[in-house]
Amino acid sequence: MQAISQTVDSLRSPEQETLRRQRRTAWMLTLPALALMVVILLVPVGIAGVLSFTDFSLGNSSFNWVGVKNYDRLLSRSTYEKMFIATFTYVVTVVPLSVGLGLGAALLVQSLGRFRELYKTIYFLPVMATLLAMAIAWEFMLHPSIGMINRTLELGCGTVLERIWPFMANGCAKTFPVWLGDKRYAIWVICFIGIWQGFGFNMVLYLAGLTGVHRELYHAAEMDGAKSGWERFRLVTWPALGPTTVFVVTISCIRAFQVFDTVEAFWPQGGGPNKSTYVMMFAIFEKGVQQNLIGVGASITIVFLGFVMVLTLIQRWLVERKVHYG
Amino acid sequence: MTRDWWKHLILTLGALIVIAPFYMMVSYSFKSPGEIDRGEGGFFGRQEMMVDERCVKLRDPNRDDIAAALLRFPNQTDAQIRDALLAEATADCSMRPVVFNYTKAFTEAPLLRYLLNGVIVTASIFFIQVLVAVPAAYALAKLKFWGREAVFSLVLFCLLIPVHAIALPLYIMLAKLGLTNTYAALVVPWTISVFGIFLMRQFFMTVPDDLIDAARMDGMGEFAIVWRVMLPTAIPALLAFAIFSVVAHWNDYFWPRIVVTGNRDLFTPPLGLREFKGDGDGSFFGPMMATATVIVMPLIVAFLLAQKRFIEGITLSGMK
Repeated sequence: MQAISQTVDSLRSPEQETLRRQRRTAWMLTLPALALMVVILLVPVGIAGVLSFTDFSLGNSSFNWVGVKNYDRLLSRSTYEKMFIATFTYVVTVVPLSVGLGLGAALLVQSLGRFRELYKTIYFLPVMATLLAMAIAWEFMLHPSIGMINRTLELGCGTVLERIWPFMANGCAKTFPVWLGDKRYAIWVICFIGIWQGFGFNMVLYLAGLTGVHRELYHAAEMDGAKSGWERFRLVTWPALGPTTVFVVTISCIRAFQVFDTVEAFWPQGGGPNKSTYVMMFAIFEKGVQQNLIGVGASITIVFLGFVMVLTLIQRWLVERKVHYG
Repeated sequence: MTRDWWKHLILTLGALIVIAPFYMMVSYSFKSPGEIDRGEGGFFGRQEMMVDERCVKLRDPNRDDIAAALLRFPNQTDAQIRDALLAEATADCSMRPVVFNYTKAFTEAPLLRYLLNGVIVTASIFFIQVLVAVPAAYALAKLKFWGREAVFSLVLFCLLIPVHAIALPLYIMLAKLGLTNTYAALVVPWTISVFGIFLMRQFFMTVPDDLIDAARMDGMGEFAIVWRVMLPTAIPALLAFAIFSVVAHWNDYFWPRIVVTGNRDLFTPPLGLREFKGDGDGSFFGPMMATATVIVMPLIVAFLLAQKRFIEGITLSGMK
């Protein structure tokens, strides 16, 4: 741009005039977005940061600086220990399984001629559906006496299943689990619904990734002696899907951290039996909004943002290094 | 086909698990309370006439009713008239379970209002997002100006911040402004979509400069170029973004739950359903599932009609 304006000296002033005008319009076009970005995204992060060092609550005119007391609480109280355990259990279960099932389903669907579209459509349905509504549907399915799940399990009573599967024997002898009321099962039910809802999304992303794998690579691998399907997958498909995997894992992680709807739908108060499903988003909601303990809520918010940002930065770093897991 | 049977077996089993709650939701929305309790009636239920007890109770004839009905039933005792009136009420209050469930869904709670709110909120969010993001994306992609790199880095940084995560400070800001329990509270935090800016910018980068230069030659201003030249070329990206945005906000429960408390007039569909669940005693499974079906259906139907677009849209927005 500079070179142009220097060589075409005679045109200098009108040229500069256009540039100047372009610059001004550019700022005018960007300004609304910029302002909203600052006010809606950056300022709140700052506010959360500041409030996490106070005992602020809505309705009080003044507040005190409490130093790191809020963070200290997060590390020392057993409630928050349960919060971290529930959140990590959820993330560590849901991410690998929903990514794995997504990949598995994508590979199976990809290799089929018939009914491909049908499977794709069905597996994608939960992604479209309102999670809260589906959570309520699941709640009925899991109902201890009239729910479809325990009724289906009852069908297994008296069959060979009862002898080979202790869970079944126990259920038939006494009762089948009260899925949502039992602290041994509650978090796994939440995980299951998370996987149920998310793996179709991952499948679709993997299917898109698979179309980018070149056919010739498979031929080449076969020439090199990769005879079995597993070898071909290990040598060609998996490395080629590297970028997709990085993305799918990151987005699954971020979504998993944000689990809320199911927990709130099943246990509006308290985060499940014995707080076994007291996930972070629910804690922010309960402490910050319902109980007006904004300092504590803000400190959870900051820890939460920390997790999410670290995850995304790792993803970007991996993408920039063009990791192909080769 | 025969070689692939095990794949079909696995995928079909998976499909059954995926569909099960949808099947149950729709099926319960057809059935009578008795059928739900006993778990019978197949998918559609038997659709035998059922009597809405609450409706009958509401029409329980009192002295005035009987007096008023004297003309219609001449030469009968009060007790006889009473019985006749009760029989009428029972007849009027009996209907097929499916009709019962869906009428209850719309009459027990202002479901239409909720749906309308959902449409208003989702549409406003999308409209403002486009209005804000598209010009910025154009400037970042096609105009040279001092500070462009800085603005773009800011966009990349903001992509790291999920809006749900900063819900608490946003809620405090809105509360301080006295905006909780308004449409504004439901819409404002979503007006800026950094993701939208990013997506549209990537798309605009692929539009040839010649097109813009030609438009400038014709004397078009930059604003006109944004809306009349760039936007039409970006319809696929815009559609992808629309699907992404609408799906996210129609289904969103967390944010409305925080900023709308108690004011039913502002409830979005998921909030309405939640309220319904909170009120319900055991016998209201049918109407509740009817409500759930009504809320879930618009997106599912749209998805089934335009599957390819939806899947493309979601993956395009996913692949960045």
